[in-house]
Amino acid sequence: MISPLLGMHMANELLSVPIAGLTLVIAVAAVAIAALRARRLATDDRLPLMGVMGAFVFAAQMINFSLPGMPGTSGHLGGGVLLAILMGPAAAIVTMTAILIVQCLLFQDGGLLALGCNIINMGVVPSLIGWWFYRLLLGPPSRAAAWRQYLAAWLACVAGVTAGAALVPVQAAVSGVLQVPLSHFLGVMIGVHLIIGLCEGGLTFAVIAYLRRVRPELMGLDPSGLPASVRRPGFGAVLVSLLVTALLLSGVISWFASSLPDGLEWSYRGHGYGTTGQAVENRSPAVAAVDRWQSKWSPLTDYTRRETPLGQAPGEGTAESASGWPQPDGWSSLAGILGTVVTLSLVYGAARVMRSTARA
Amino acid sequence: MHHHFIDRFAMRHSPIHRLDARAKLLAVLSYTVVLISFDRYTVTDLAPLAVLPLALLWFAGVPVWFAVRRVLILSPFILMLVLMSPFYDRTPQAVAFGPWHYTVSGGWLTAADISIKFALGVMALTALMCSTRFALLLEALRRLGLPQVVVMQLGFLYRYLFVLIDEAMRVRRARDFRGAALAPVGRRLAAAGGVIGTLFIRTLDRSQRIHLAMATRGYRGEPHSLCQLRFTSTDVVFLLVVALYLAACRWGYPKWF
Repeated sequence: MISPLLGMHMANELLSVPIAGLTLVIAVAAVAIAALRARRLATDDRLPLMGVMGAFVFAAQMINFSLPGMPGTSGHLGGGVLLAILMGPAAAIVTMTAILIVQCLLFQDGGLLALGCNIINMGVVPSLIGWWFYRLLLGPPSRAAAWRQYLAAWLACVAGVTAGAALVPVQAAVSGVLQVPLSHFLGVMIGVHLIIGLCEGGLTFAVIAYLRRVRPELMGLDPSGLPASVRRPGFGAVLVSLLVTALLLSGVISWFASSLPDGLEWSYRGHGYGTTGQAVENRSPAVAAVDRWQSKWSPLTDYTRRETPLGQAPGEGTAESASGWPQPDGWSSLAGILGTVVTLSLVYGAARVMRSTARA
Repeated sequence: MHHHFIDRFAMRHSPIHRLDARAKLLAVLSYTVVLISFDRYTVTDLAPLAVLPLALLWFAGVPVWFAVRRVLILSPFILMLVLMSPFYDRTPQAVAFGPWHYTVSGGWLTAADISIKFALGVMALTALMCSTRFALLLEALRRLGLPQVVVMQLGFLYRYLFVLIDEAMRVRRARDFRGAALAPVGRRLAAAGGVIGTLFIRTLDRSQRIHLAMATRGYRGEPHSLCQLRFTSTDVVFLLVVALYLAACRWGYPKWF
């Protein structure tokens, strides 16, 4: 992972309450299944293991290495996929859940209500997809050549990390909070995480290669049947991973660019307010479908109480005024802010008095 | 790096610190729900919501700058999205403040709205963490229904977080002193992989030792905690006040003026 992009945690503000609740329920179910499985697999002496492994992931994120070609940036491990490869997906999901809860509570990284989303995006999805891809490509682990291990680790990281990251814009779009169109946000997230996946894959391979050499029994290998020499992935495998990443990136960029004229179009239309009276429109059918779905089923469409019954889009049943928004009354907002300031000064005074009497 | 980094205010004493951890957790959770349930264009309606986090911080004796600094540290990702929204949302919105009326594009309102909600949410969470010891919070989570396995993992994670981070930093310093930054990319990657691999092996060994230590101290599958939570009448009053305040913010406020 690249340092400035550490804070890819979903924030509360990008979610609506129903979506936050729904993702929380899904996350709780997934973690419960994972916890049951991990419990069944784990013997008693492995009980502290998952918790301490969580601390290990924090520590491993401290180990950086400077990226070639991008001076000033340094990559470090995200950790989810590596954990899944080393400990199995169930234990990895439980560990990542503990990490995300601690990040949310202790470091306030990722909102309290977005915890469900974060557990899905950064715990469940990368662990499962990463582990599955790694198994799929590796074949029998004892005989796998170094280039094959490298490609398996790389693909596991790219697929796991990107799939998780791609869920962030989808969740935000379904919530309907963000104005940035889904296709652009998705393009940025996927593009960035393709590069992150490449770094993460290289580092994950390095860790696995080291562990195979030093503690082969940990990786489920027979220590006697392994070559003692340092195993390198080979130039070809690295070239393949770089080329595929570049191809995927250019695909994302061209997709991004093709959806860009849309954006310019709105900004032109924005001043005339078009024929529909709406300056902002997104032509993407996916967004339209999501919008339609949301306007039908969201209990608080556009955060006002809905006027039409659930299952009916606002325009369908009742005639709505074109402007849509009531004209705000300036005095109530002024009064609200003045009232808040007065209340806050009263609260502050009370707190001061209380603390000074407590000290005396 | 030490626990002091995150715990610097949690060990103090104040009326807020004495409240039951469950009450505080529920209060902050419902506050967050109310906070994000607001419409993205009604920025001024958010003003009364600043009262609760600031009041918690003030009564707990936590300097507000500390909470503000947390907000700033965490802001880059959300800031990127916030700065994009004025370019996309150009719906004209009528804004009125006292006798003054303006029309601005909706994107600026969205940007202000998301940043205010983000700042208030982080401040509320900071107030909770700075007025509650983590062990008490874990006990509260357990009593509120989080499975024992997960609570124990959280406890281990918290206990060994800085132990392992310190270890990682020592190893990193050793690597940097040996000039690893000057090596070609492949070597650099291998060095980082080796360091992380070593940390992994040490972590496995450490968890074995922890298990042995637990077993010798009579661990039989049921953890015991010295942390006791007592839900008193003060907590009931606190929750009632918070509930009334949140209800007033959500439903009462625009109609009262």
